[in-house]
Amino acid sequence: MESTQRSPVTAAITLAALVFLFLPLAVLVLFSFHSTGGLSFPFQGFSLRWYREVFGSNEFRSAVLTSLWVALPASGATLVLGTLAAYGLSRSSSRLRGPLALLFFLPITLPGLFLGVSLVVFFSRIDFTLSLKTVVIAHLVYVFPYFLLIARAALDRLDPALEEAAADLGASPVRVFRRVTLPQIWPLLVGATCLAFALSFDEFIITFFVIGSDSTLPLLIWSRLRRTIDPSLNVISTLLLALSLALWIVAFVLTLRSERRRARSLTEAV
Amino acid sequence: MTAVAEETGAGGGRRLRVGPIALTAPAALGMLLFFAAPLVAFTIYSFLTGRLFVVSGPATLDNYREVVSSDLNGILARNSAFIGFLSAFFSIVIALPIAYWLRYAAGRWRVFVLFLITATLFASYLVRIYAWRSILGENGLLNSGLESLGLIDEPLGFILYNKFSVTVALVHIFLPYVVLVLYAGFGPMAPSLLESAQDLGANAVTRWRRVVLPLIAAPAASAFLFVFVLSAGDYVTPQIIGGTSGVLLGVQVQAAFKVVGDFPLGAATALLMLAAFVVCYGLSVLALRLARLDRIRWGQ
Repeated sequence: MESTQRSPVTAAITLAALVFLFLPLAVLVLFSFHSTGGLSFPFQGFSLRWYREVFGSNEFRSAVLTSLWVALPASGATLVLGTLAAYGLSRSSSRLRGPLALLFFLPITLPGLFLGVSLVVFFSRIDFTLSLKTVVIAHLVYVFPYFLLIARAALDRLDPALEEAAADLGASPVRVFRRVTLPQIWPLLVGATCLAFALSFDEFIITFFVIGSDSTLPLLIWSRLRRTIDPSLNVISTLLLALSLALWIVAFVLTLRSERRRARSLTEAV
Repeated sequence: MTAVAEETGAGGGRRLRVGPIALTAPAALGMLLFFAAPLVAFTIYSFLTGRLFVVSGPATLDNYREVVSSDLNGILARNSAFIGFLSAFFSIVIALPIAYWLRYAAGRWRVFVLFLITATLFASYLVRIYAWRSILGENGLLNSGLESLGLIDEPLGFILYNKFSVTVALVHIFLPYVVLVLYAGFGPMAPSLLESAQDLGANAVTRWRRVVLPLIAAPAASAFLFVFVLSAGDYVTPQIIGGTSGVLLGVQVQAAFKVVGDFPLGAATALLMLAAFVVCYGLSVLALRLARLDRIRWGQ
C-alpha cells in the first residue's frame, strides 16, 4: 500500500472544484421541480407540473425515440467494429498497425465542428440525403475511437499466455476468443458500449450539421433554448442528466469490478 | 503470436494466411470512407467557389484570401485564441492540485471523488451550457439570489453574454477531462519521489517547482492543447452565452454551412483554424524539447 500524504490546500481546492462542477447542475435540477414558470430566486415551492407537461408532449416523446433510434445502432455497431479492431490491433505485429492507429484515433483530436462540416460536404458530394442514417454514421465515427481506446487497453493488459495455452491445446481462434479472451474483458466492453451510447445520446455539435428534418433530444434542447425558456427545459435536461448518470454508474461499476478481479488474480499469482 | 487462420493440415486444405490485422478491416474501411474521404473532399471544396448551397469550379485561392482579409474574422480569431487560452489556462491551474490530491493524498476517497468528477464528464454538453446560462443570466440565479439576499440592488450586467461567461462554461466543461489526464500523468510518479525531496530538505514550494511541475509538464501541455483547440473551435457555447463580444470563429464556420450556404468559404475558414492548431501543437512540442522536459524518465 502506498503512503498517503496530508495536503490540506489541494484537498480544499478539490472540494471547491466539486462544488463548482455540481452546483450549476444541482440548481438546474432544483428548478425542474419549480411550481411556477419562473427560473429565478426566490424558489416558490415544489411541484411536478413541468414533468407532467414534458411527458405529455409529443415533441419530447418523438425526440426520445429519435435519439434512441440513433444511439442504439451507433453504439451497437461500435461494439462489433471496435472489438474486432481492438483485437486485431493488439494481437498483430503487422506494420500496418501504426497507420491504422492513426486513422482510428485521429478523430478524437479534431473538434466536432470539423467532423460535422466535413461530413456535410461529403454527403452532399455523393448526393446522400441528410437523415437519421447520416447521423448514425457520424456518431459511429465520433464514438469509435473512445470505444477502441478502452477495448485496446483491456486487451493489452491480458496475459497472452492464457490465449497461447488454449491455442496450443487445439482451440480454434474463434473458440480462444470466445472461451478465453471474452470472459476476461466483457465487463469493460459493456462499460465502453455504455460510454458510446451516452456520447451518442448527448451529441449535439456534429449532429447539428448532419441531421435532416428530425430532432434528437439535444436538438430539441437547442431549439427550445432559442425560444422562451421555462422549467420544462430543466425537466428535459434533468432527464438527460439522469440517463447519463445511470449509464456512467453501470460503466464505472463494471470497470471497478474488473479492476478488483484483476488485482486479486495478480496477488494470487504471486 | 498466432495468426488467426494458420495453414491447416490434411483435411482442412490450404487456406490463405491472414493475420489478426484483418479484423481491423471493417473499421478501417468505415473510417477511410466516412472520416478520411470527407476530410479530403472538404479540403478540395475549400478551393472551389460556392454560393447558396451550390458549388462550382475552377480551383481558386479566393476563399482563403477572403478569410484572411476579413476584419471580422481577424477579431473572431483573436477572440477564439483569447478564450481558448483562458479556458485552457484555468482548467490546468485548477486541475493540477486536484490531480495531485487524487494521486497522493486522497486515500480511500480516491475512487469516490474520481467517480464524481467523471460523472460530470458525462453530463450533456448542452445541458451544462444551459445551466450556466440560467445562473449567469440577467434574471439568472446569481443575480436573483444576490438580490433576494439584499446584497445587490440591480442585476450585475458584466457576468453574462461576454468572454467571461463563455470561459466559465468552457472551464466547467473541460475541467474533468484535464483532471483525468493529469491524474494519469501523475500515475508513474511514486510518492517516494516527493518524500525523498522532502527528506532532502525541500519545502512545499520547492517540491512543486523542482519535482512536480517538471514531471507533469508534458501531460499538462497536451491537456492544455486539447482544451485550447476544443474551446477555440466551439460554436455552441458562444452562441448561447457569448453575446456579441464572445463570438468565436467557429460560429462563422457554422453560419457558412447552415445559413449562408457557402461551403467552400466555410471549409477554407475551418482549414485555416486547423492549420493554426497544428502550428500550436508544433510550438508546444518544440517548447518541451527546448526545456528538456520531453524525455524525463519517471523515477521509482
